[in-house]
Order: sequence, then structure tokens, then C-alpha cells
Amino acid sequence: MIREFGVIDLVYLVAAIRWTLLLTLAAFAGGSVVGLIIAIMRVSNFAILRAVAVWYIQVIQGTPLLVILFVFFFGVSIVGLPVLPWIAASLSFSLYASAFLGEIWRGALQAIPRTQWEAGGSLGLGFVEQLRYVIIPQAVRISIPPTVGFLVQLIKNTSLAATIGFVELTREGQLTTAATFQPFTVYVTVAFLYFLMCFPLTQWSRILERRFHVAG
Amino acid sequence: MSLVEIRNITKRYGDVTVLDDVSVTIAAGEIIVIIGRSGSGKSTLLRCINGLEPVQAGSIIVDGVRVNDPQTNLRKLRQQVGIVFQSFNLFPHLSVARNITLAPTVVKGMTEEQAREIARDVLRRVGLEEKLDAYPHQLSGGQQQRVAIARSLAMQPKLMLFDEITSALDPELTGEVLKVLEDMARSGMTMALVTHEMGFARRFGSRALFMHNGKIWEEGPASEMLVRARTSELETFLGAVLH
Repeated sequence: MIREFGVIDLVYLVAAIRWTLLLTLAAFAGGSVVGLIIAIMRVSNFAILRAVAVWYIQVIQGTPLLVILFVFFFGVSIVGLPVLPWIAASLSFSLYASAFLGEIWRGALQAIPRTQWEAGGSLGLGFVEQLRYVIIPQAVRISIPPTVGFLVQLIKNTSLAATIGFVELTREGQLTTAATFQPFTVYVTVAFLYFLMCFPLTQWSRILERRFHVAG
Repeated sequence: MSLVEIRNITKRYGDVTVLDDVSVTIAAGEIIVIIGRSGSGKSTLLRCINGLEPVQAGSIIVDGVRVNDPQTNLRKLRQQVGIVFQSFNLFPHLSVARNITLAPTVVKGMTEEQAREIARDVLRRVGLEEKLDAYPHQLSGGQQQRVAIARSLAMQPKLMLFDEITSALDPELTGEVLKVLEDMARSGMTMALVTHEMGFARRFGSRALFMHNGKIWEEGPASEMLVRARTSELETFLGAVLH
């Protein structure tokens, strides 16, 4: 039965935001852990580790996110795991985020002058200590604006999870459209809700960028 | 026994030979002055001593430990050898105190209070005790370089290396850094300096090395050698720096 798009539909859409945010959070958490390891591999002294990290980033950045999502969704059933959109989605988005965060953070780590490594090393600090006390604290400042920028991309890209039946904001929009037959109204609402999530982050990223630019 | 023993080292960057079969020894208490034109290999020689630059041939032994050996624990070695750079290389995100206490606490396992006591002490030696809680960007170039010296001293090294540490400073600030160097020289610290400060070199240097084309071209007591050159290359060089 077709009904009018009403307050109850809006409530459902707003409620679906939590799944969009949860998926973003899971992907960001998973992506951060792996991304940090990848970034550190890229600046390590071992050529093999650097090469592995380069290939990891190349392969993932050279694959459409939608395809990664399908590979995981259909792949988990092959290895005998239950086909759960939630698991497939958070794994694929973590993988996707890890490559991009890894690349962003590698850039930040490499932006710190070689001489800072030398100064730390000459004082007897080891590789991990140089990273922890000298390099990372300085690289964090540089990496915050592009990291927040990527977070915005991530939020928007979680909409792809709708294709494997994960009910986040976009999927909820599809379901609402099916019930109300008012796609335009529904998707404008959905777009506006995404904008409400992303706009504050974009602004924040800009403020941070300006602040760090001035501070040098 | 000599503190540093460099035997027949060769260092290449691709086809360019930067150090060509160089041998030097440094005894405890000596002040070695290394001079030469830019590109002559003098900074590279200095950087080889604490393992910042790998060499392709020869051996470098510091206090009985072979530096250019993959088995060497560079971390241990570097606690014995301090280096101060031309560009200061202080950690910009840390206070002066933390710049100095970082290595003693992290590498030597001192407590924060012990390390801070040492920081106070080394800062006093370079005349900057009141800057304990300042940040590097609040200091002048000369002050930053003195903090960098203090930071190295805090690790109580047996040998200090100085890589053109006054070259980035204007003459006024050079003076205050040289004064610190003079105090250290008088206190008996073993030092190797790459420098263009001929006045300091003549008065405090026990030995001078003139590097040319990656070789030690001339070597001798600093007070004599920097006045009377034996080779025409050194004579030309001295003519250029002194006039």
C-alpha cells in the first residue's frame, strides 16, 4: 500500500543515521589501526616492508570501493562465514579507509625533515622512540586537516553499503521510496541529512587547516 | 688507546667518492679541527663517526666499538658520542627542558626529576638556565644552538662532534656559541669540529685536518698548520677564508 511521505518516514530516516555513523566509526577505527601500521611501514628502514605497504595501498586504491564491498559480501559465504551485510560492510570500509589513511599519514610522516630523525637518533633514540616522541607528535598536526577531509568522504561512501542490503541512511531512503513512491522528496531529505553530517566536519577541517597554516 | 680510530674508510654516493681511503685517530682530550671547502667530505667524515652515514669500505672504531658493523648497537654508541648540527635540529614541539630530558629519560631510564636536574645543570653551562621552560621558536639562533649543545651534553658523551655549528648564525650570535665551545675545550672535552672559525681553530685546536677531494690533504698541529701551509691547496683555502 502506498502512503504519503510523512513525519514517521522522516523519523525513520533520521534513525537510520546511527547506522551510517556506526559504519563510519567502525571503518575509521579499523582503518586507523591498519593505516598507521601501513604508514609506519612506508617510512621504515626495511625495503621489503616499504614495498609491501606500497602495494597494499596501490591495490586498494586501484579497486572500486563498490567492488571491494561485493568481494567481501560474496566472499564471506565462500569461506563458510554467515553472510551478514554488517560484517562485510565494516570489513570492506576498514580496508578502504586503511589504504587512504595510510597514504595520508605517510605523507605527514615524510613531511617531517630528515634532520629530526637524525637529531633523535644521535641522542640514542631507537626507531620506535623517534616515531613516538619526535616524529608522530609533529606529523599529527599536519595530518589532522586531510584526515578530517577523508572522514567526510567516508561518511558519504558508506551509502554504497545500501547495495548489499545494509540498512543505513541511503538504504532506508530506498525502502521509504518503495513505500511512498515519492523518490524526489525522499532523496532530497536523505541528501540534506548527509549534508548535516558532513558540513560541520568540512568546516572544522577548514578551520584546522587555516590554524596550522598560520602557525607554520 | 685512541677514542676514535678510523681506518681506510671510503664513502661513495653513486659514482661520486666523498671519502677516499681516509684514516684518522682521535685521542681522548684532543680537539680536532676539520677544515676544507664545501664538498671536500669534512661533514661526511664527522657524520660517519656516529654512524649517521654508512661507509662502503674501511672500519670506524669508537671507544672500542665498531660503528660500521651491522651488529653494532648504534643506540649504545650514540650515548657516548654527541653531535651538534648546523641547523640546530631542536624538537620544535617540545620545551627546552623536554628537548634536553627526552633522551636521558627515554634512553637512560632516568626519572623526570633527575633529568630535569641535569637539564638545569647543562643549561647553566651554556648560560641559558632561565630558558628552561621556553620553546625553541621563542629563542634566537644562537640560543637555540646553545640549547642543542646542552641537549647533547646531558647524555654525558665522551666525544662531541660539531658540524659547522656557527655557519647559520650572524657574527654576533656566533660569538656566544664560540664562548660555550671554549668553555668545553677548557674543561677537557674530546671534540671534533668542522668549522670555518679559524681564530677558534688556532687557539683551541690540538690538531687540524685539511680535507680536499675526499682525502686528508694535510694534517698537523692546528697552531702551526693554519699559519704555514705546506700544500698549495691549503694555502689557497686559508687565503680564501682569512681574507
